[in-house]
Amino acid sequence: MLFSRRLMLGLAMAGSFASALAFPALAGEGPTEIDLFFPVPVDGKLARDMGTLIKEFNDGHPDIKATAVYTGSYDDTLIKTRAAIKAGKPPSAVIMSANFLLDMQIENELTNLDALIKADGTTKDQFLGQFFPALQGNAVINRSVYGVPFHNSTPLLYINADKAKEAGLDPEKPPQTWAELTDWAKKLTKREGDKVTQWGIAIPCAYDYCGWMMETLTMSNGGRYYNEEFGGEVYYDTPSMLGALTWWNDLIYKHKVHTPGATPGPAVSTSFISGNAAMMMLSTGSLTYVRDNAKFNYKVAFIPRNVRNAVPIGGASLIIPAGLEAEKQKASWTLIKWMTSPEKSGWWSRATGYFAPNMAAYKTPDMVDFLNKNPDAKTAVEQLDVAKPWFATYKTVPVRKNLEDEVMLVLNGKKQPKEALAAAQKAADETLKPYNAETSLKLP
Amino acid sequence: MSLAEPAALRVATSAAPRLDVLRRFTTRFKASLRAYLLLLPSLVFLALFTYGAMGRVLVDALYQRATPKAPVRFVGLDNVSAVLADPAFTGAVVNNLVYAAGTTIPSIALALLFALTLARTHAVSSALRAALFLPVLIPMVAASALFMFIFLPNVGLLDYYIGRLLPVLPNWLGDPDIALYAIMIITIWKNAGYYMLFFLAGLQAVPEDVMEAAHLDGAGPYQRLRHIILPELKPTFLFVTVIAILNAVTQVDHVFVMTQGGPSNATNLVLFYIYQQAVEHYDVGKASAATLLTLAALMGLTALSFRTMANREGGP
Repeated sequence: MLFSRRLMLGLAMAGSFASALAFPALAGEGPTEIDLFFPVPVDGKLARDMGTLIKEFNDGHPDIKATAVYTGSYDDTLIKTRAAIKAGKPPSAVIMSANFLLDMQIENELTNLDALIKADGTTKDQFLGQFFPALQGNAVINRSVYGVPFHNSTPLLYINADKAKEAGLDPEKPPQTWAELTDWAKKLTKREGDKVTQWGIAIPCAYDYCGWMMETLTMSNGGRYYNEEFGGEVYYDTPSMLGALTWWNDLIYKHKVHTPGATPGPAVSTSFISGNAAMMMLSTGSLTYVRDNAKFNYKVAFIPRNVRNAVPIGGASLIIPAGLEAEKQKASWTLIKWMTSPEKSGWWSRATGYFAPNMAAYKTPDMVDFLNKNPDAKTAVEQLDVAKPWFATYKTVPVRKNLEDEVMLVLNGKKQPKEALAAAQKAADETLKPYNAETSLKLP
Repeated sequence: MSLAEPAALRVATSAAPRLDVLRRFTTRFKASLRAYLLLLPSLVFLALFTYGAMGRVLVDALYQRATPKAPVRFVGLDNVSAVLADPAFTGAVVNNLVYAAGTTIPSIALALLFALTLARTHAVSSALRAALFLPVLIPMVAASALFMFIFLPNVGLLDYYIGRLLPVLPNWLGDPDIALYAIMIITIWKNAGYYMLFFLAGLQAVPEDVMEAAHLDGAGPYQRLRHIILPELKPTFLFVTVIAILNAVTQVDHVFVMTQGGPSNATNLVLFYIYQQAVEHYDVGKASAATLLTLAALMGLTALSFRTMANREGGP
C-alpha cells in the first residue's frame, strides 16, 4: 500500500515535471533555445567559468538563449552526445575531445560546417587561418571543416629547478635531446643503496595519457603514429615507435631513473609536486595546477627530441551534431564563433590554463600582460610551432588501447618492446579491419 | 503478490468444486483485481525501465553491422559467439571469478569475526560497530578517490608507511600482477561492515536456552561456535554469500574511477567489458550479447539461491 502510494506520488511528480519541461517548448515565439554540452576534464572551477561565459553571451544576444549542460569527462560527453543523437534530440553544440571528431564523422554524427562558413561570406582558408596551423588537422576531415578548436594543450617537460641546481645542472639550459635528458635524469636520481629516494623523471601511462605520451615520444623520434590523411592505418610496428618505447623501457630498467610500472597522470603530478620526481612530462593543462601548488622553483621546456622537435596537440573542439533544425544550427554557429573569438578565447585560456587556439588572442592587451607575468605559459604557446595533430582513427579509443595495453606490459617488465609493438599492431589492424573493408580494401 | 494471495485463497476454498474452470478463473481474477490495480503503478515502471530494457537488449543482441556504413542486419547468435571468442571477455570473466572469490570469502570471514566479537551490546562495542560500518556509508566513487591517494606509488599513504620496510615499492595500481588485488582490498574494506550487520542479526536468532544448556554441559567456546552458532547461522551465510557474489558482478565503480580496467586489462571485470563494448567500441550488438550472458548467469545464480533458501526454514 505504502509502496504504491509512493509510486503514485512519484507519477504525479514526474507528470508535473514533464509538463514543466514541455511548457517552454510550446511557448513558441521567444528566443531560439540552444544547449551546449561541455565536459570538465581538469577541475571543478571550469564549470563556474563556463556559467560566466554563457551568461555574458545571453546578455549580448537577446534572440538566443543558450544553456550550458555539464556532461562529465571527455568520454562521458561523447556517450551523452551519442545517446542524445540516438534519442532524436541532439544538443546544439558540444565541446568534444579533438580526436573523437573523425570517429563521429565516420558515424555521420557531425554537421559539415562548410556551408555555415560560406554563408558568413568568408572562405574556409580565411576561417581556419585564425587558428594555429597545428590545430587544423583535428578540425578538418576530407577537406571539410567539422570542428572549431576551443581549448588545446601540448605535452611539456617540467623541471624542478631547485633540484637541478642542487645536482649542478643549469635549469636555464634545459635538456634538448633524449641524450641530454637521460643524462639529467641520471644526475637527478638519488639512491640509498638499492632504494631510490628521488626519481629523475616521471612519464604518465594510464589509458588515454599513455597513448598521448607514446605519440609524443614517437613524433620526437621522427615518427607519425598514425596516418593523418586516412583513418584506417596506424604505425605501431615501426622503427620510430620501437625507438620511443625502447628508450622509455631503458629509463626504467637500464638507467633506473623512472619508476617501474604504469603511473597515471595525477600520480605523476603529485610525485613532482612532492619532490619525489625531479622532472616530468605532462600536459600544459597541468600548468595552472603546478603553478598553484609547487613550493619550489620550476621550469617548463619543450619535449626533448631524438630526431626532431615534434609534439601532438590535445584538447577539445566545438562541434555541431548532425540532425539539428536550421534555426538552432544558425544560433549555435553564432555561439561557437563568439566563444572562439580572440577576446573570449583569451579569457578562457587565462581562466583554465589551456592555450587559446585563436592566434589573435595573443595580441590582446590582457593576454600580453598575462604572458609577461607567466613566462611558463609562453613556452607552451611557442611549442605550437612544432605541434602536429592528435591521433584520430576509426574507433580511436580501442585502437589506442590496443597500443596502451602492450606498452603497460613493457613498462612492467613483462614484455620486450619489439614483441609488444608487433602484438599492438596486429590487434589494431584487427580493430581497423571493418573500416578498411569499406574504404581502402573495397576494390572495383 | 502477498496482497493478492489471501483474497484468492478465500474465494477458491468457498467456491463449489463443480464450477467450470473459466468461471473459477474469472472470479479469482475479479477478487484479485484490486490487488493488481494496486500493483499497476509499479508494474508500469518495471515494464518501462526493467523488462522493456531487457527486451531491447535481447533484440539488440541479435543485430550487427558488417562495416561502419552498412545497415544493421539480423545475425542471430553471431554476437554471442563473437563475445565468447573475444579474449578480452574471457579475461574479464576469469578476473571476475578471481575477484568474486577473493572478495566474498575474506569479507564474509571478517564480517563473521566482527559480529562474534561485537555481539554483546555495550558502549564500546556499539562504537566499534559504528566504526566498522562507516565504510558502507561512503559512496564507492568517493572511497575510490580516497584509495587512489593511498595507493599512489612512492608518495601515497601506504608507500609512506611500508616504504621503510621494502627495498622496491610496489606500484599498486600500475602493476598488472597487483592491481586486481588492490581493487579487492577496497571491496573487502567496504563490504565487511555491511555483511557484519546480517551476522549480528543472525546471532540474535541463536536460541539463548540452547546456548545455556551447552554451557552447563561443559561445551567450550569453540564447541559452542562449531556445533551451535555456525549451524544456526547457515541461512544468514547463504543470504550473505548471494549478496556478496551479486555485488562482485554489479559493483564496479572503483574500476571506473581507479584503473579503467587496466593496466593491460588486469582489472577488467565483466560489467566494465560491457561498458567498453558499448561506449569505446560503439558496438551495441556485442555489448548486448555480453549483457545477456551476464544476465543469464546472474538469474541462474538467483534462482538457485532462492530455491535453496525456500528449502530452509526461516531465512532472514
